[in-house]
Amino acid sequence: MSEKNKLSRNQKDTSDDMVNLVDNIDRQNDLKFNRRSFLKTAVAASVTLGVATLPFSIKAMLNDGDEEPVKVKIGKLSEVGKGESINFNYPTDQEPAILVHTKEGNLKAYNNKCTHLQCPVFYEKEQDVLLCPCHRGFFDVNNGHPVAGPPQRELPLIELELLDDVIYAVGRKIRHG
Amino acid sequence: MAKKMCWVIILVTLAVNVVMLHFTIEAYFGLEYNHVFGNTIFALISSIIALISYFYWRRLEYSNEK
Repeated sequence: MSEKNKLSRNQKDTSDDMVNLVDNIDRQNDLKFNRRSFLKTAVAASVTLGVATLPFSIKAMLNDGDEEPVKVKIGKLSEVGKGESINFNYPTDQEPAILVHTKEGNLKAYNNKCTHLQCPVFYEKEQDVLLCPCHRGFFDVNNGHPVAGPPQRELPLIELELLDDVIYAVGRKIRHG
Repeated sequence: MAKKMCWVIILVTLAVNVVMLHFTIEAYFGLEYNHVFGNTIFALISSIIALISYFYWRRLEYSNEK
C-alpha cells in the first residue's frame, strides 16, 4: 500500500474525495493575505520607493553634472547638403549624435539616442523630422522635442559653431525649453 | 476614523513616492541634479510620514483587540 493511501480522511494530501471540497480554503493564506498585510505591504512599498531615489542623489553628488564644454570638429558644411545628415559622437565617443542640415538651410545637432528606449534616431528628409524606427517616435528637427509616439523628453541639443566652412560642436543642453 | 486617516495617508505617500521616483530618474538623466536632490528629500519625508502613520495605525489597530 502506498504512503498516500494510508492517509486518513480530512487530512491534507489524502486521496479522500471529501477533503477536496475544502482544498481551496487555506488558513495560512487567510492569515497572509488580509487587510493588515495589505497595509503593511503598502507601507513597505512606499518606503522602498522613497529610499530608491537615494542612489540617484548619491550618484548626482559624486558627479556635479557640469559638463566641461568640449569643442569637437564634426565636418565641413560643404559636405553636408540641404536635407542631409551625418553622424558623429559628442561629447564623448560613447554618445552618438546627428547633425542635420535641414531643407531650410539650418544646422541642427542632437544626441541621437531616442529618449524612449535609446534607439538611434534618423533624419527623415521627406517629412523633415527625426524618426526613431523602433517604436515610431518622431522629434521636431528644429527643436528636438517629441511630436509623436512614445518619447516624452526632448533630444539633448548640441550647440554648433561654424568657422570657415568647418562645423564644430561646442556644447550641449540636455533640457532646452 | 483615525485608522482610516492612516490608510489614506499611507496610500497618498505611496502615490507620491511613485511619482517622486519617476521625477528623480527623469531629472537624473536630464542632468538636473538640484531637482534630483529636491525629489529625494521629498520622497524621504514622504516615507517617514508613511512610517509614522503606520506605527500610529498599528497602535490603534492592535490595542483595540479584545
